[in-house]
Amino acid sequence: MNSSILKLAQICTTGQINQLSTVLASQLHISAPLCRVVSGKYRITKKKDRPLTYEMANPPHFIAHRKSWNSWNTSSLKDGLRRSETAVEDEFIRRFMNGTWHGLVCSEVIIKRQFNHIRVAAIIRRAVSPMKMYFLLGYTEELLSNWIQCPVTLELQTVDSFKDVVFKYI
Amino acid sequence: MYSNIFLPRQWSRIACLCRTVSTVEAQKLPQNSNSSDGISPPPRIPRGPTDILQALAATVGPDPTAAHYKYHDDPYLIPLSNFRKRSYALSAEAGRKAAAWIRDEHADLFTTREWDPPGKKKTPYLNADPYIEAFAPRPIYNDESKVTEEDFNYTIQNALLEDAIKVYELLGGAQVISDELKIKFLQLLCFYNEKEPISMDWVEERWFAANTRERQAATWRLGGLADSIFTSMEPKTPEAYCAVIQGMAKYYQAERAHALAQEAIEQGIPLSTSVFNSLLSCIGFLKEGTTLRIEALKTLLSQMNEQGLTPNHETLTACLRSVSAWGGGKILQQIALQVIAEFRQIGIQPGLSAYYYLLCLFCKERGAQIDILTSILNDLEKREKLVPQEATDTNFFITAMGVCSDHLQNIDLAERLHKLLMKDDNYKLVGDAYKESIYYRHYITVTCRHAPFEKTLQLLDTLVPNVYVPEPSVMEEIIRTLEVGGAGDRLAQAWSQLVIFGHANRTRLVERLLDAFCNCYQYQDDEVKAKIRSAAADILKFGQMAEEKEESGDRRSPVQKLSATAISNIIELCSDVQDKADPGWDIVGEALNKLRAEQAMGVPARPEILIEVAKKAATVGKPGIAATAVTYLADCGFEEALTASVQTLSLMLNRTEEEVQALLQEDRTKLTSALHPSALVVAEAYHAMKTGTTLHSDSSTSSESDSDSSSDNE
Repeated sequence: MNSSILKLAQICTTGQINQLSTVLASQLHISAPLCRVVSGKYRITKKKDRPLTYEMANPPHFIAHRKSWNSWNTSSLKDGLRRSETAVEDEFIRRFMNGTWHGLVCSEVIIKRQFNHIRVAAIIRRAVSPMKMYFLLGYTEELLSNWIQCPVTLELQTVDSFKDVVFKYI
Repeated sequence: MYSNIFLPRQWSRIACLCRTVSTVEAQKLPQNSNSSDGISPPPRIPRGPTDILQALAATVGPDPTAAHYKYHDDPYLIPLSNFRKRSYALSAEAGRKAAAWIRDEHADLFTTREWDPPGKKKTPYLNADPYIEAFAPRPIYNDESKVTEEDFNYTIQNALLEDAIKVYELLGGAQVISDELKIKFLQLLCFYNEKEPISMDWVEERWFAANTRERQAATWRLGGLADSIFTSMEPKTPEAYCAVIQGMAKYYQAERAHALAQEAIEQGIPLSTSVFNSLLSCIGFLKEGTTLRIEALKTLLSQMNEQGLTPNHETLTACLRSVSAWGGGKILQQIALQVIAEFRQIGIQPGLSAYYYLLCLFCKERGAQIDILTSILNDLEKREKLVPQEATDTNFFITAMGVCSDHLQNIDLAERLHKLLMKDDNYKLVGDAYKESIYYRHYITVTCRHAPFEKTLQLLDTLVPNVYVPEPSVMEEIIRTLEVGGAGDRLAQAWSQLVIFGHANRTRLVERLLDAFCNCYQYQDDEVKAKIRSAAADILKFGQMAEEKEESGDRRSPVQKLSATAISNIIELCSDVQDKADPGWDIVGEALNKLRAEQAMGVPARPEILIEVAKKAATVGKPGIAATAVTYLADCGFEEALTASVQTLSLMLNRTEEEVQALLQEDRTKLTSALHPSALVVAEAYHAMKTGTTLHSDSSTSSESDSDSSSDNE
């Protein structure tokens, strides 16, 4: 960020005003250095007892190498539609899932959009009976599809306990 | 500058438009087969909106290896018993209902929908674009709602019966509503007899509803809302008459329906074909005796003719429905055949419902065996497509399979029928969950009884457990087949199936399985023998677990206990091991303890098993087990206990039987010091038996109660 402000100052002094707009549009960075060092990564604990799933264990720069995206949609492509709406909806779905399947979701909630269809995948702990799970399944699907106004399908997998998804401890 | 670019752009657009217009035109024009340039594209086929989806779906056949698609594809969530199938599907639907309730209750929240294009202006209420009916909140009507005729129309269109009645009351009754809506409302009331139907949205609830046979009684609401609306209507239109008569006939209010029909005919009000159809199907409630009924049937048909109405396939079904409901016998069968022949003459082929009623009429449980199913199948197989026309169509396959299984006992016909059901999308004709399970019950029963063994196994592998979970009666049939076929491996599997299907608490079934184990144990491979042994051991453990559960109060219904014969079967199976250290002996010990503690019903049917076990245990070096077995035999008062104890002792002490006899005559106190404790127990059993029988020497057979009392006396 500092460097871009410096550049801005330089440009202003030299008086090339007409170039300013392009510079502003392309070079305004926010918290870029922080992103590279800290975000999406987990701090090592003293006792090395923080459990990480495979998804958590791989920092963001491994996306598309070792791990995959958590949201699959075309809104961020060129001329993509509904960028902000998609992001907000995804966040809503994630929070809704974590709240409805309280304490059961063991992984990130993966949201895949195809046409008007949203598929929500997650790994669930087998802490409640299958019957209750089916109730939650039906409830989540119906409520989300009424809220977002398109068909929503849940694609769940179950594991016995949280330990099954732990990849390593740091 | 811009105009330069503008024109060619427009030009290309116009050219494009012209192209599309011409293609549309070309598609619309009917094509002659011989055009001038020799190219003749086929004429356009009009497609519906879902045709492509259906074509795609048709490429995927049913997959019996996977659970039904309504269940989640995860090992924890796949149901394997009938109870679970039902409860899982209904749970999911309950969840869906809960969500729908929240949506309806808080309809004001479910309004935002930022659809593309993003810049669209938002309104404060319902931004959905496109507006999708299925996702929109449904209105709730209560005493405070402000309603209009539009709401009334909406409730009628969507068959929301209770809501429609509420809105009707809120609107202010019959005086305010327009005649058109009044007729619609009356039709709705008559169709459902003022009872709220299960909504179309709840697929599972309808599937599992199991309203197998509606009550054949006059359930029409006399003096209800429908009646009052009808009386209030002035002048009464033909539609009103038709609706009320059909409603009455549908709910078996036959006399009033017929009276109203006569009244209408006298007043010169035209009635529809369906009115006559419904009248035809409730003749049985009007007249008694076959001849009178047949006469009434013929009069009604001729009345139809007088009114100038042509009968349709529903008329045929209605006639046959009436005829089949009047019992059986040659005369009625003749009538039915006549009716069918006459309808064929005017070009009406019998549908599935008609055939269903024919089967009901001809294939009675205790009647002569009449094979009309072959010709029916011949006819149906020739048809290109089975189109469902009436609700009773779904009864055909289940009844036909029942006929195959009970009446004709013909596996070939059953297979043909099943093939017909599996053809195209005929499977939707199977009806609901209840009918489906009965259909498969018949199919598997007839296959088990009459098909070659290999074929039966193949069928079982395909159907069980994803398509169909056998009920206890069918399971018994399957076990019998496996026993006869000598498939020990499968029998061992059958136990785990029983546990999974939730039949493991059914004592009769488990006993039957143990019997089957014993009967075909002899001629199995060693590997299979081991499997059977472990299955038998598991049965015992399962019983103990169930009892422990009962003691801790988890179960409400008491656990039925296995019979002594069944337990002795377990003992026989588990004792077939040579090694002393084999866990089989522990099971034998446990089973014997169970027998001794009188936790089993009755006494073993074959005491020789226990004798064998006692001898074997003595040879192998398990004197404790031998002693328990002999003591139990003595307790039960079997005559064989005497010789058994002598033989066991001789094996234990490694002496001849004479020596043992001599030893046993000696003084007890002396024996106590000399003998191993287990041997002593056997000796005591011998004495107990001896004194017991001598006590009751006058009775020729030592019955159970006698010996019980004698052992108590000791």
